[in-house]
Amino acid sequence: MKKASAVLLVLVLTVSALTGCKKRETQPAPSAGPAAAKAPTGKVEGKIGISVLTLTNPFFIDIVKAVEDEAKKNGFEAIVTSSEFDPAKQRDQVKDFIVKKVNAIILTPADSKAVGTAIKEANEAGIPVFTADIASLAEDAKVVSHIATDNYAGGRQAAKAMMEALGNKGKVAVLDFPVVESVILRTRGFEDELKESKSPIVIVGKWNGKGVKDEGFKVAQDILTAHKELDGIFAINDPSALGAYAALEKAGRAGKVVLIGFDGQLEGKKAILEGKIYADPIQFPDLIGRTTVQTIMKYLDGAKVEPQILIPPSLYHKADAEKDPALSAK
Amino acid sequence: MSPMAESATAAPPAPLLEMTGIDKSFPGVRALAGVDLVLHPGEVLAVVGENGAGKSTLMKILGGAYLPDSGRISLNGKETRILNPVDARRGGVAVIYQEFNLIPRMTVRENIFLGRERTRLGFFDRRSETDEVKRIFERIGVRLDPEAECGDLSVAQQQTVEIAKALSLDARIIVMDEPTAALTDQEVERLFEIIRDLKSNRIGVIYISHRLDEVFRIADTIMVLRDGQLVGARPVSQFNRQSVIEMMVGRRIENEFPKREAETGGERLVIRNLTRGTSVGGVSFSVRAGEILGLTGLVGSGRTELARLIFGADAADSGSISLDGRELRIRSPKDAISCGICLLTEDRKTQGLVLDHSVRDNFGLPNLSGFSTWGFVREREESEALAGFVEKLRIKIPHHEEVARNLSGGNQQKVVLAKWLQRDCKVIIFDEPTRGIDVGAKYEIYTLMNRLAEDGKCIIMISSELPEALGMSDRILVMRGGRIAGEIADVPCATQEQVMHMAVG
Amino acid sequence: MAGNRGRMGAAGRRFIADYGMIFVLLLLCVYYSVATLNVQYPTGSEAARQVVAECRERLPSGDAALIVAHHGQDASDFAREAEAGLKAAGVEVAGVVLGDPSALRLELERLGAAGRAPKAILATREAAEWRLIRNIGEILPASSGVSVFCPESHRWPDFLKRNNLLAVADRIVVIAIVAIGMTMVIITAGIDLSVGSLIAFSAVMATRLIRDAAGAANASAAGMVLCCLAAIVACGIVGVFSGLMVTLFSVPPFIATLAMMLVASGTAYTLAAGQSIYEVPASIDRLGRGTSLFGLPNTLILMAVLYVVAHVMMSRTALGRYVYATGGNREAARLSGVPVRRVILFVYAVCGALAGLGGVVQTSQLQSGAPTYGLMYELYVIAAVVVGGTSLSGGQGKILGTLIGAFIIAVIQNGMNLTGVESYTQNIILGLVILAAVLLDKLKQRGWRLRGGESG
Repeated sequence: MKKASAVLLVLVLTVSALTGCKKRETQPAPSAGPAAAKAPTGKVEGKIGISVLTLTNPFFIDIVKAVEDEAKKNGFEAIVTSSEFDPAKQRDQVKDFIVKKVNAIILTPADSKAVGTAIKEANEAGIPVFTADIASLAEDAKVVSHIATDNYAGGRQAAKAMMEALGNKGKVAVLDFPVVESVILRTRGFEDELKESKSPIVIVGKWNGKGVKDEGFKVAQDILTAHKELDGIFAINDPSALGAYAALEKAGRAGKVVLIGFDGQLEGKKAILEGKIYADPIQFPDLIGRTTVQTIMKYLDGAKVEPQILIPPSLYHKADAEKDPALSAK
Repeated sequence: MSPMAESATAAPPAPLLEMTGIDKSFPGVRALAGVDLVLHPGEVLAVVGENGAGKSTLMKILGGAYLPDSGRISLNGKETRILNPVDARRGGVAVIYQEFNLIPRMTVRENIFLGRERTRLGFFDRRSETDEVKRIFERIGVRLDPEAECGDLSVAQQQTVEIAKALSLDARIIVMDEPTAALTDQEVERLFEIIRDLKSNRIGVIYISHRLDEVFRIADTIMVLRDGQLVGARPVSQFNRQSVIEMMVGRRIENEFPKREAETGGERLVIRNLTRGTSVGGVSFSVRAGEILGLTGLVGSGRTELARLIFGADAADSGSISLDGRELRIRSPKDAISCGICLLTEDRKTQGLVLDHSVRDNFGLPNLSGFSTWGFVREREESEALAGFVEKLRIKIPHHEEVARNLSGGNQQKVVLAKWLQRDCKVIIFDEPTRGIDVGAKYEIYTLMNRLAEDGKCIIMISSELPEALGMSDRILVMRGGRIAGEIADVPCATQEQVMHMAVG
Repeated sequence: MAGNRGRMGAAGRRFIADYGMIFVLLLLCVYYSVATLNVQYPTGSEAARQVVAECRERLPSGDAALIVAHHGQDASDFAREAEAGLKAAGVEVAGVVLGDPSALRLELERLGAAGRAPKAILATREAAEWRLIRNIGEILPASSGVSVFCPESHRWPDFLKRNNLLAVADRIVVIAIVAIGMTMVIITAGIDLSVGSLIAFSAVMATRLIRDAAGAANASAAGMVLCCLAAIVACGIVGVFSGLMVTLFSVPPFIATLAMMLVASGTAYTLAAGQSIYEVPASIDRLGRGTSLFGLPNTLILMAVLYVVAHVMMSRTALGRYVYATGGNREAARLSGVPVRRVILFVYAVCGALAGLGGVVQTSQLQSGAPTYGLMYELYVIAAVVVGGTSLSGGQGKILGTLIGAFIIAVIQNGMNLTGVESYTQNIILGLVILAAVLLDKLKQRGWRLRGGESG
């Protein structure tokens, strides 16, 4: 009881001290006018808030690192948050960016549609929004520019690699994650390429591997049970490809079923070197991050920016892996 | 009284335990005020007093559960500080509480050695443990399988396990809190033999009990506490039953059971063929207006089960209940209550009260429909009603928001009584209404039962204490194996032997 | 201190016993107020008046000024007010730029080419932060002599800004609403793990109904309300089902609701085909993002109303007493005539329905429904209840305590985002703060003794 009252007392004192501070500090600081405009926040030129889909995937970590790096070069500070797949959490993070008055916001939406209200709130506060890797599909939510891998082209490249590996015949399955726009494009590219080149390869079905290793493993196991004559699997990213590889190993069919991944993360590249994955259309997350920040700088300088900037992926085979300095360094 | 008592008190050796000037206060209550206690080797010291007199507090201080505010404790003439139960154990003190500290799914041996298992080369040394258990059982003349699971043992057997555990810890002082509360007569005899064995082994026993006849049979010294103060501690030969009761209560009591003008009316409650599985079979009886019907029998004879059937706490397989000529449909306690039947359960703590809630909440629980409009409780009215009962029943509580757990047994029972009296039921079933309650409060509860009967209510009183059943009832039903084994209509002329004969069969 | 104690009296002591966590909340608020002390500046017309006054004092007469504002409501207020102010002061307005840096650059280049380069720029603070204005001499050497006027600053915690306080409340609304039902369930000594999944289920069901039955993006307001009500009722029925499992078959609540959690989540994914459903009218955000009375968000008002109703129910009605008694000692309550089964069914139904409402609020906030909503919310909800002082063993707890608990969590999350704590570190800190809050509460109950309770 005594202590509780003591705590109360301390609190009252702190609160009153604080309100005292407030009164002093609301008086105009002598920093108005032209001089103030030069450098109102000291050395840091400004802040960029970024909220990515997740930080459990190295792809986004690479984006974030590149953004931080590029922002620093321009004298900006990057505030990094992650929605971990929760659109409501992402909205909260955007609200916090608005309170912090960042100069620009970079989003990789947790949900291409649900992100709309968050973007609109940023629009209302006059903060420009850029999306990286995953686009917003929400109507009347204004995004200045979208910077991403050309996922559709990547999907086509994956199909080319599949045709090459299978000698243009056989049955393949797709480990999908159709909630995310970029993945939808990859799958569509894959399907379109097979169709347009009139390939006899049959797609036996698309399953949701949720883009993660454990789910990919579980789903691939079921696919392998259901389709004994499967010749190839196209997994929409490296984690699900590696999950599928574990399932292949378990079923004793590793090496007999061709695996094509996507992304070209370090783990995926290693798997290509070891022959576990046949090939990956690789993305360049660092380039995405860097390009996004450069686009923001251009925008803040008053230059025109393109509404969409696509960065083409490129196919990465075992031969590329053997020459890759990132792998030989390990 | 007993020859042993005199021999023990004849030449007092150095005391095993001396507690002097023990003080202990709780918020709002002074539980103990300067209490002294002396215990010699081979002595049985009975501590008696009303509930709330401070017996339990004193024993908890000795057992290390509470710290005294002031006072000294000496063990074997050496001043000791008992800060926790481990200190007490090291000092040779073992307390056997009413609720045993045994783990049901462990064996007798495992329970006795719990927390100090014997090992040899890192493995449990089961044989050494078994030998030790057998040695102790032999010492106190008990036959019990060390590998039996404690959950399968009778209450009396579990108690022996507790005693054996105390002995295996080399306890020199054993405290027993109401050890006979749940024992049959034969089991009480066995316990007394064990206690006599302990005496001959120079072990000091502190014996806490409400049952004065037992106290007079086994104790060497009686110590009486009242309101946290020591009223007197003398050899048993200098007391008689009447004088102990008067010291406990602090006033003269003319008669243990108050008299009443019996004016019974016509039949009100009629039970026909009530049956549930094997516990209650085809029971039929009736209760008249203004009658106190005693229901007795051995533990497990189906008395409580019968009461629960009437109250709707369990579902009956068949049979009918009618009140004032109207047949009742009772499928839950809620139905029974709305028909005007209430049950004061035997176990107040687990069935009668929500212990962590306030007295007011407990009082209001069955009465909220009467105290509320549109579902909103008229708290003022509720408080006023409670205040009336607090005064009428002399319930000792600091305020209405006091938590039920903090009350003494007698006051808890009065709160339970108050909540049912407010309902103004026609049939009131008391299951062991005075168990664990001190003499003074007992008398008040008896008086109240009489008053209710005089108002024309039907009272069913379940009691294991034959003097109580004989002293209070207008008529007694004796149960055996779930059936009514006999009826005693002429209670004033009946004897305890007669009742026991019916109960045993 | 003694006088203080006397004055506080019994009511004060009971308040501290029930709602002691409020001090933890205050402490957090104080901490984050100090930690987020930052430079602030006025916006809208207030900013415009200030800048115009500054400009009149320091700008040589005859010089033309350009007004620059960013996007948004506040910014256009600024522009309008500044233009009017300058005209009134007789300063020539060279132009008004509303929008982004490229528009300003074009305008400056155009004015420069026409020989009408402004001598001053009046900008909102946001616009003044554009690199184009900050480094104007480097980017547009022609405009190097221009002086820039923008609102002057003062220091005030980001945390205590009205916007942010509303954001704190807004972020916790869903969890706080669901926590009302959870508090009741936990008071009956139960638990409901299905609430997170029910949020997703309700969001998906409401949006799917609107899409398929009420006319998708052209749905009427009444249609939307009906669809949302249907979703809430469905969640209530799921709650009743959990309650039946608990009462009729004595399935432990943990297991029964764990099962329902999987069922509800699976159903949500199935109904939505794994996608988010966004074919709903934009006006669905009326509940989640709209404001009414005094500009307070509707969600906040809804939450306040629900808390008041629940508090009154739990503290003033017979039903509330029954809920407490059922959790305090189920057998004693039953033997006192409390319909314990119906009470348990009731609390699970309320908990389910409130989870459904939470899903509807989230749908409204995000203008779409997706099965990924509500992920792990059950844990935050339970944390809010426990931090709010409700005992998991049942019989004890306060509805308003839960509100405090929810706000503690919201303030920590918001504060950490404002102070730039990394997101994984945030979880560690949140976990530790929850533990510390509960420990503090236990210590208080024990009278601030470190040793106590069991010994040995």
